[in-house]
Amino acid sequence: MPTNLQAGESDAVGQRRWVWPAFALPGVVWLMLLFLVPFYAIFAVAMGRTDPIFNRPVPEWNPIYWDPSSFSRVFRDLFGGQLGTIAVRTIIYVAVASLLCLLIGYPVAYFVSRRSGRWRGLWLLLILAPFWINYLMRMMAWINLLSPDAQVDQVFFLFGLDPPSWLAGHPFVVILGLVYGYIPFLILPLFGALDRIDERTLEAAKDLGASPVRTFWRVTLPLSKQGILAGVVIIMLPMFGDYYTPNLLSGSPRTVMMGNTIDQFINQTNSQGGTGAALTIILMMFVAVLMAYYLVTINRATKEARE
Amino acid sequence: MAYHPRENWDPRLRKRVYTRRDFLQRAALLGVALPALPSLLAACAERDAETGTELAIGSPSNPVQQPLFEDNPAIESGLPDEEGPLQLYNWADYINQDAVVAASAALGVEIEITTFFNEEEAIQKLSSGEVQFDVWFPTSQVVPKSVAGQLLQPLNLEYIPNLEQYVWPSLANPYYDQGSRYTVPYVLYSTGIAWRIDQVDSADIEGQPNAYEVFWNEKYAGITGLYDSYTDAVAMALFRNGIADPSVATEAEVTAAADSLIELVDLMNIRYTIDGAYVQIPEGRMGLHQAWSGDIINSQYYFPEDEDPTVIRYAWPARIEGTTVNGAISSDTMAIPFGAQRPVLAHKFLDFMLDEANALLNFEWLGYQPPQVGINADLLITDGWVPDFLEPGIVREEDFELDTAWVQGQLDLATETLWADQWNRVKSGG
Repeated sequence: MPTNLQAGESDAVGQRRWVWPAFALPGVVWLMLLFLVPFYAIFAVAMGRTDPIFNRPVPEWNPIYWDPSSFSRVFRDLFGGQLGTIAVRTIIYVAVASLLCLLIGYPVAYFVSRRSGRWRGLWLLLILAPFWINYLMRMMAWINLLSPDAQVDQVFFLFGLDPPSWLAGHPFVVILGLVYGYIPFLILPLFGALDRIDERTLEAAKDLGASPVRTFWRVTLPLSKQGILAGVVIIMLPMFGDYYTPNLLSGSPRTVMMGNTIDQFINQTNSQGGTGAALTIILMMFVAVLMAYYLVTINRATKEARE
Repeated sequence: MAYHPRENWDPRLRKRVYTRRDFLQRAALLGVALPALPSLLAACAERDAETGTELAIGSPSNPVQQPLFEDNPAIESGLPDEEGPLQLYNWADYINQDAVVAASAALGVEIEITTFFNEEEAIQKLSSGEVQFDVWFPTSQVVPKSVAGQLLQPLNLEYIPNLEQYVWPSLANPYYDQGSRYTVPYVLYSTGIAWRIDQVDSADIEGQPNAYEVFWNEKYAGITGLYDSYTDAVAMALFRNGIADPSVATEAEVTAAADSLIELVDLMNIRYTIDGAYVQIPEGRMGLHQAWSGDIINSQYYFPEDEDPTVIRYAWPARIEGTTVNGAISSDTMAIPFGAQRPVLAHKFLDFMLDEANALLNFEWLGYQPPQVGINADLLITDGWVPDFLEPGIVREEDFELDTAWVQGQLDLATETLWADQWNRVKSGG
């Protein structure tokens, strides 16, 4: 039977248990509101009707009157219509851009975290520098650089080469735009993961006779897997919804991505706003599957590490 | 309770542990199930479609008077001015700041401008009732729906004597709003073709019975663009296919027009832009683009310093001699939103902008021509407002009366939806 003192200690422990979660509560409530309210609003638009005067979507807040025809339309078009082509194109663009980001970003992150010595701070600063400039402004700068006879063309002329019309609606220009725009978001988590690798682990591999290449493949790369995954997920999520990169660097229907189609439905052909909202939710669900895969993997890795 | 090892249960966690294989299996199942969803979802729909509302949509041959509503009267005459600031709701870069400063001085109040990206956004915000502006700049195409939705308040023309004094008679009493019950005209424009003579042969446009064919001319693949606006792009394709009045085109004709636009994706590597005419042509990124006359008059100021602006040309197919196709022409308006807090000042602002000198001051920077009687083609050319080579960009009052002119008005809602559906097909590449 506990004494009074023990009961008091138990109460104190019980109170302390709630102190730290209480600090997080306002933030959690705020984030929940910022997610749930807009999500419900988008869902209400997708399940709503069209205003008979303005021919624009009207959200239906009451679930009793929800009309799922927008979702039907989107699903029909995704499986056998033009939306399906756009969805596949978007997945290809995002996959290729993410792979390029990884191929370019990994060596950079590796160099900065493990080989840059006293210049490490400067390198980090240079990687972060693009964050200081708005994404849209950086894309607009590329328009000037890629214009006919502009700086990029001049480089081609130096080598006697005939440059392509960069801004004439080429998929590779859109993909390069995505790579340029999002690569810093991949390098930072990757830098963190590589930086956390214990130097002694690598030394142990060398002591056991592993060559530098084998050490990289068998030790460094597996230990940085979580950073790769985090970086790739971080860049893939916004890439799926990106619409201004194809708009600014192409403008051709050949390079339309899902984000452009949503923008089109919601901002241009206002009578299709419900379809745009339905497509937004479906894209969100698709991205949530990727996110779930990431969380499951992280969770499993954390448990393995604890064991 | 015992768990079989193959079940992937972690007895310590009492939870299912998902492997990569599990994840992929579920993703595949989801992929198989998704195609069946449309029919399931459609079966859930239960409410009948709402019926449409009659809008007063007119045409030059069938002018209409917009309805008045008992609970939305015009203001009385002789009311005192309210306190500022006067709130304008306008497109971005669609008014000369010098004109705003002059209006501010004349009215004795501060003027603040809020901008909208497109009319859909503007209508959505105004109809939400959450924003209140004193003056709005809608196109004539949305006047009928804005009146029916009670977004506008009727005007008291006693505050706006300049309407009758300075404005073209046909637009002082326009077909879409007879008696100027809700709007006064702001600027005019035709929708035609702009090109650079160093990239495009003018003979392929000027003198051609169907000038729009140039957009399907493979010689100009890669340097050709159209407006990223479904009313303009679809109407152009309808004209090109020989339809005289796009607003009454049948579903088959609109579908055929969309097919023609889809053809441009592979044939011309067509690009859809908003700044193609006034920015990308001067910068040499485009050689040929659909163009509003106001954009093209303004484009001369967007040329890089070392570039020659005289390479630019404009044609409005409806006025090409021997043409077999029509061309679009339209006007934008000024109106006072329902619930405006400063209606007297708003009326006086409208009157100020209709004054000939102030309208010219606005045109000087804007490039879009106002419909004042004194601001005619002769004045614009001789005073150097419009260079000789862009003379086809000047809109004349008689242009609205041409047999080949399509005076662009509001489409009925079924037609608007049809165009939007087809436009989405075009923008998706077919």
